[in-house]
Amino acid sequence: MNDLPLRKTELSKRIPVNAAKLKRKLWLIFVIVLTCLLALLFLGPYVYLLLTSLKPSAEAVSTPPTLWPSTFSFENYRNMFDYLPVGKYFINSLVTAGASTIISVLVGALAAYGISRFTSVTGNYFLLFTLVIRMVPMISIAIPMYMIIKDMGLLDTQLALILVYTSVNVPFAIWLMIGFLDSVPKEFDEAARIDGCSWLGAFIRVILPVSLPGLATTAIFTFMLAWNDFLFSLLMTSTQAKTATVGISEFLTAYNLDLGPMTAAAVSFSLPVMIFSLFVQRYIVSGMTLGAVKE
Amino acid sequence: MKLKNGALSTMFFMPAALFMGVFLVYPILLLLKDSFFQIDLMNPAAREFVGLANYIDSLTSDRFLKALGNTVVYIIVAVGAEFIIGLILALLLSNAFKGSQIIRTVLLSPLMLAPLVSGLIWKFMLNDQFGIINWVLYKIGIISDPHQILWLSDSRFALISTIIADIWLTTPFIMLVLLAGIQGISKSLYESADIDGANKWHKFRYITVPSIIPVASVALLIRIIDAARTFDIVWVLTQGGPGFSSELLSTYMYKTLTRYGQVGQSSAMAVIFIIILLVLSSFFISKIWSPRKKNA
Repeated sequence: MNDLPLRKTELSKRIPVNAAKLKRKLWLIFVIVLTCLLALLFLGPYVYLLLTSLKPSAEAVSTPPTLWPSTFSFENYRNMFDYLPVGKYFINSLVTAGASTIISVLVGALAAYGISRFTSVTGNYFLLFTLVIRMVPMISIAIPMYMIIKDMGLLDTQLALILVYTSVNVPFAIWLMIGFLDSVPKEFDEAARIDGCSWLGAFIRVILPVSLPGLATTAIFTFMLAWNDFLFSLLMTSTQAKTATVGISEFLTAYNLDLGPMTAAAVSFSLPVMIFSLFVQRYIVSGMTLGAVKE
Repeated sequence: MKLKNGALSTMFFMPAALFMGVFLVYPILLLLKDSFFQIDLMNPAAREFVGLANYIDSLTSDRFLKALGNTVVYIIVAVGAEFIIGLILALLLSNAFKGSQIIRTVLLSPLMLAPLVSGLIWKFMLNDQFGIINWVLYKIGIISDPHQILWLSDSRFALISTIIADIWLTTPFIMLVLLAGIQGISKSLYESADIDGANKWHKFRYITVPSIIPVASVALLIRIIDAARTFDIVWVLTQGGPGFSSELLSTYMYKTLTRYGQVGQSSAMAVIFIIILLVLSSFFISKIWSPRKKNA
């Protein structure tokens, strides 16, 4: 009884501190809950696709829809090969995206090196020009590109897609590589020059090895652009060189009621990339933010 | 010395210039030329010079104007929502808490997803027969019949359905760029604001916002251009239909070329499209882009 007033004062002294602490804690909890909720919202559709692909074929299109597979089944993954030549589409995607990546990274790095190391008026104009080119929507160039490829007799070939993807990717590769090459000290190639290398030799022997992170970032992005392309493949291929994106889209029109194999194909197409991107996210972040801040 | 440098640098970017010349510059010139002709894809030899007729036809055609209007709506709604959600996510994730790193990583992975796959996922989920979206809405009592909303075949919903897929796919990109911008702000700014007794809102309004404006403008510019040329998502979800309710410039141009075989007409539309985008982006760039500084 006696010490009650004392406690009261003690309490009132403490309240402001506790309240502030509590407020901060509540705020943090609010932040965490909201973040998790939003993250779930963004992850949900892909997880749903993944789960659907693992359902028995009929269950994928059942009403009411189920969330969790009643039994896990790889039926859809086996079936997708029966409907369409999925394997061939994947190989086409891999070949065209892979080849165009190698070419555009090399060509882009070479150009970026030239512009980064030698101050020249043409170089600066060229750089400005690549920027303008990137603003041009590819859908509009796709029309004349189609005509050119047609005139060259390359419709429905892997080479056509490789050429187109490379051209689309080169300006992008230049912009990304310039960012990296500018950060490589000039002393590196100057030293190589003094040791008797040609400029090209210095580039190959010294600059390329030290800018590996930049090359990796550029390669990831150019590969993704080609791998994910739908428009050019839709426009320029019909049977032989068709890539996976166009192939998968055909599940929708051809087998409207059996969408299970479609989900399996979509997952097979994107899951390796999603997992890969988790491992290389350091490069993705640097590539995206660099590309973004640069432009 | 200057000359030698010029020659050397030219030598290095020659291969790139060659590629860009043949497959980017030449196509643009060809596009420009074709836009003045009447060309039938089935019979390309019979081309006829028609002057500005293709342009006039496009600009006075209801379908083209409808596609243009839809594209503008698409850009404003999609990019607007992406920016707001992306900013909220970036602000949330800039509070370092246990697991924030993991969530950030998880949110990054959809960035590598093909727009086509995003279209497929949403086509699946928005299906009026077995789609899960309608069932969720039904279960929580928003709609009275699980087949009530025909997301993709009702002209009132088709465009918004494609926008939903776009928002889902690209909000993480905006989040990432904004987060990078926020993390680049010097901590000392916030510390001195704390000393001055600034509250959260003040810190956001007077430190965070001004600091991320350059990064935000770049993110917006990239997204506006990308949204303007959206093709995959719309093609997979609705092919521009029903009617022309979700027709964008890109799908309309594609149809004009492949379905109707009108090369000249689609070229004229493409040129108009390029001009609009170049004007738009040069406006943005003149505001934000400072010429690259060479650290000699």
